[in-house]
Amino acid sequence: MNPTADRIVLGAAATAIVAYLIFPVIVVLAISFSAGNFLEFPPPGLSLRWYRAIAGDPEWVSAFMVTLKVGSLTALLATLLGVPAAFALVRYVVPAKALLSALILCALVTPPIVTAISTYLFFVPLGLNNSIVGLACAHAVSGMPFVVINTAASLRSADRNLERAAIIHGAHPLWAIIRITLPIISPGIIIGAILAFVHSAHELLIAMFVLGGVGKPVTVKIWSDVQATSDPTIAAASAILIGLAILTFVSVSTAQALARRRNG
Amino acid sequence: MTAIAEQAPRAKSVQHRQAMPALLLLPALVWIAVFFLLPLVLMCWRSLAAESYSFKAYWIVFSSPLYTKVMLTTLESASIATVLALLLAYPMAYTLTITSGILRGLLLMLVFIPYWVDIIVRTFSWLILLGDHGLINVLLRKLGIVHGSLPLLYSEFAVLVGMVQILLPLTIVVLFGAMLRIDRTLIAAAKIHGASGWNAFRTVFFPLSLPGVYGAALLVFVLSLGFYVTPALLGSPRQTMIAQTIMVEASELLDWGQASAAGLLLLIMTTLIAAIYNRYFSLDRLWGGSDA
Repeated sequence: MNPTADRIVLGAAATAIVAYLIFPVIVVLAISFSAGNFLEFPPPGLSLRWYRAIAGDPEWVSAFMVTLKVGSLTALLATLLGVPAAFALVRYVVPAKALLSALILCALVTPPIVTAISTYLFFVPLGLNNSIVGLACAHAVSGMPFVVINTAASLRSADRNLERAAIIHGAHPLWAIIRITLPIISPGIIIGAILAFVHSAHELLIAMFVLGGVGKPVTVKIWSDVQATSDPTIAAASAILIGLAILTFVSVSTAQALARRRNG
Repeated sequence: MTAIAEQAPRAKSVQHRQAMPALLLLPALVWIAVFFLLPLVLMCWRSLAAESYSFKAYWIVFSSPLYTKVMLTTLESASIATVLALLLAYPMAYTLTITSGILRGLLLMLVFIPYWVDIIVRTFSWLILLGDHGLINVLLRKLGIVHGSLPLLYSEFAVLVGMVQILLPLTIVVLFGAMLRIDRTLIAAAKIHGASGWNAFRTVFFPLSLPGVYGAALLVFVLSLGFYVTPALLGSPRQTMIAQTIMVEASELLDWGQASAAGLLLLIMTTLIAAIYNRYFSLDRLWGGSDA
């Protein structure tokens, strides 16, 4: 094969793969604006009626509020726990570092159903079931790796001499970290926190066991509706989640661009 | 002079070095111990206590034809999904390595957007597309390829289409990361010595990328074993995977002992594979690794 043919084949393959990845997202977005009563693609006409249906349905509104609360608390917990851990892993010689790293990451590769059942069994005697705080505590475990990974990456690329300079000029080391280092690595921390939030907003199985009755979060509500109804409300709810995802992507890219400008 | 000046803080920092990291790691580790490990221990205890402290629940998992069948289906779906995800991710990751600037950024964005869309939402979309009146059947009918409709939904095909779409972004990113570590001057050297582009790829780049492929395969396989939403929504009862069976045991039959036993066996399986991955590819490479 000559080089041009190589490129054409590769380009075609890449286009097909991107189409496969993106198409389902487009379909849900299109159906959410449907004027019809059923889940059809392409939709028969366009309207905002299903968004209005969601805004007017207290169950959906409450579901979004629950997701927002659980997600924010998860992000906060994951950040408070993950940032110090990232400092330890990047800046210090820690014994059994590989094991500790694996321990922090292992929630990500554990089958969600296993975590869900064990969390439920643990929460019942503690009375943490049906509680937003309880769900956030569980989500913080799997949200933490996102914070640790992104904070560690920023921390490694940050110039430590700036912190040293502050200390030489008389700043207390802790104060130097708070005033100098934390602002420098803040884009990494923010990305990590956002990813922890998104992770929590998407998590289904633990949420189903902990908040499956009243006060369902959005994913649990979508999941129970997907199996029961067939009108485009679910598509509109999904589209709002997609909007959230795109908003996330934009804020993450902005944060990264800011970080690059600051470091470069 | 400088040596003395440096020694004083260093003596202090040796002490500092031992207490500080422990203090920094403590909250995270305590949290993981309480909200992750302790529940797992409790689950282990429940699996034994359910049948008056015996391994009966485990024996059922190993001997019942239902579990055997579900386990085989799970392994089959997970293996096929892993292979398909790798086959599709490889050319995409390779494309990413030879592009740069805005095009690479755009491609990465397109790969990442679905990663941030909920799994139920992405699965739900296939439910609409693959149905009897879905876009694909309508197109096939219009083109006159089929009369009536193809039974695409509630089949292994549908489950795999859904699973691979969900696994692809991660697979692409892991492979891309591995490919970036390959020294491109080796390919240039092969070309200077007369290899064609294809031969340079086949004999130099591809073998060098294989460790990355194996790593991605293990990671993707572990994740596929735990799939719940996709087979539940797009599969028929014949495509039931182990997470669904555990779910039914727990939430419908309320047999927590049995659910715990099956869950623990699944956990042991995924942990073993993750441990192999960690041994050869080291999970902590994600934050630059111990060599950083």
